[in-house]
Amino acid sequence: MKRPGPLFTLLAGVVLAGGIGIVNLATGTGVAPVAGTASAGSTPSAAPAPPTTVALSEAPKPEAPARADYAGRVVGGGASVAVSVRDGHAIAYVCDGKKVEAWLQGATAGGKLDLKDAKNATLTGSFDATAVTGTVTALGRTWQFTAPVAKKPAGLYRAAPKVRGKAGKVGWIVQPDGSQVGVLTTDEDSSPAPVLDPAAGTATVDGAPVTAEPVSGLAGSGDF
Amino acid sequence: MTAPAGNRAAAALLVPLAVGAVVSVVLGVYGSLHTPTGVAVNVAGFSSAQSVKAWLATVVVVLALAQLVSALAMYGKLGGGAPAWVAPVHRWSGRLAFLVSIPVALHCLYALGFQSFDTRVLLHSLLGCFFYGVFVAKMLLLRKDGAPGWSLPVVGGLVFTALVGLWLSASLWFFTRSGLTF
Repeated sequence: MKRPGPLFTLLAGVVLAGGIGIVNLATGTGVAPVAGTASAGSTPSAAPAPPTTVALSEAPKPEAPARADYAGRVVGGGASVAVSVRDGHAIAYVCDGKKVEAWLQGATAGGKLDLKDAKNATLTGSFDATAVTGTVTALGRTWQFTAPVAKKPAGLYRAAPKVRGKAGKVGWIVQPDGSQVGVLTTDEDSSPAPVLDPAAGTATVDGAPVTAEPVSGLAGSGDF
Repeated sequence: MTAPAGNRAAAALLVPLAVGAVVSVVLGVYGSLHTPTGVAVNVAGFSSAQSVKAWLATVVVVLALAQLVSALAMYGKLGGGAPAWVAPVHRWSGRLAFLVSIPVALHCLYALGFQSFDTRVLLHSLLGCFFYGVFVAKMLLLRKDGAPGWSLPVVGGLVFTALVGLWLSASLWFFTRSGLTF
């Protein structure tokens, strides 16, 4: 055979791809826990397909995952957004790390989000297996955003500590790059949240240790 | 009537380009049809699968720059004749670049699939399918003696251009949003 080098190069690539694919399947990470069909909003508990059938003949179109967590920043970087989705229900949190914050929720269908809170904040957008994109309006400000999928410890956290004897509420967004923002809100005002240790899920508020709960669609924790 | 030499040249080009086109289309069809798994193996020391991919792709681009420079040297564009070690360097940096790109592409294709929810993502999906097709075409073209002299630099240039486009539409995008994080 003349000049077999290029063919060996291609063959090596195919073998490597096959090897990684087999490892993926063997370790079970190829199973599709997040890739439900979005049209299944009314039938949320369809069994995930076994990994070996994730092939050419599978499914009509890549759809929004049934369960996913996203975290990112708005365009311009003025605020952070986290969205958690689980079986047709979504919870989102937007905050600027200083004063502005909103918790929103609502139903999802076909990968579309239309979320609200009690104070006229809104979040609309769409999500798929890689990212959520949309527009969020809170306290009279409107931002565009695209937030990628967040893997633990990145994601959304909340806590309900006592602050000077009164009920407070904290939300944190831990970004995929490890940075975090959060806001602590009481009846009186809002302020930057104390630092969260996302690995331990703890923070110190008003001198007392507080346990933070992940709000995760994947894990099914925090109102899901 | 075309000269026989022209016919032979066209025939030499035909098979590599056809195979490359088939590879591109198959990748795109597979990426569109299968259900993205949304997950993949992470690598220890990196914060996310995204950062692993961004850095691996950066390694590929650096190797591709070595490809460009060594190719220019082999074609005498850097002045004078190329030293004997340039050709092996070109071959092996290319092989290494191709192999390093595989895990990245596999994650794209398997976990994410062909997506078109915004311009960047659509461009990246198209370029990804195109890249492996044109790479296969280039590998096959290397083995053809009758191909016209301009064909290899053109196809190689397309491979390089597609790769840089892929890097800009994903790694650079990732770095501008997340900083140079590992």
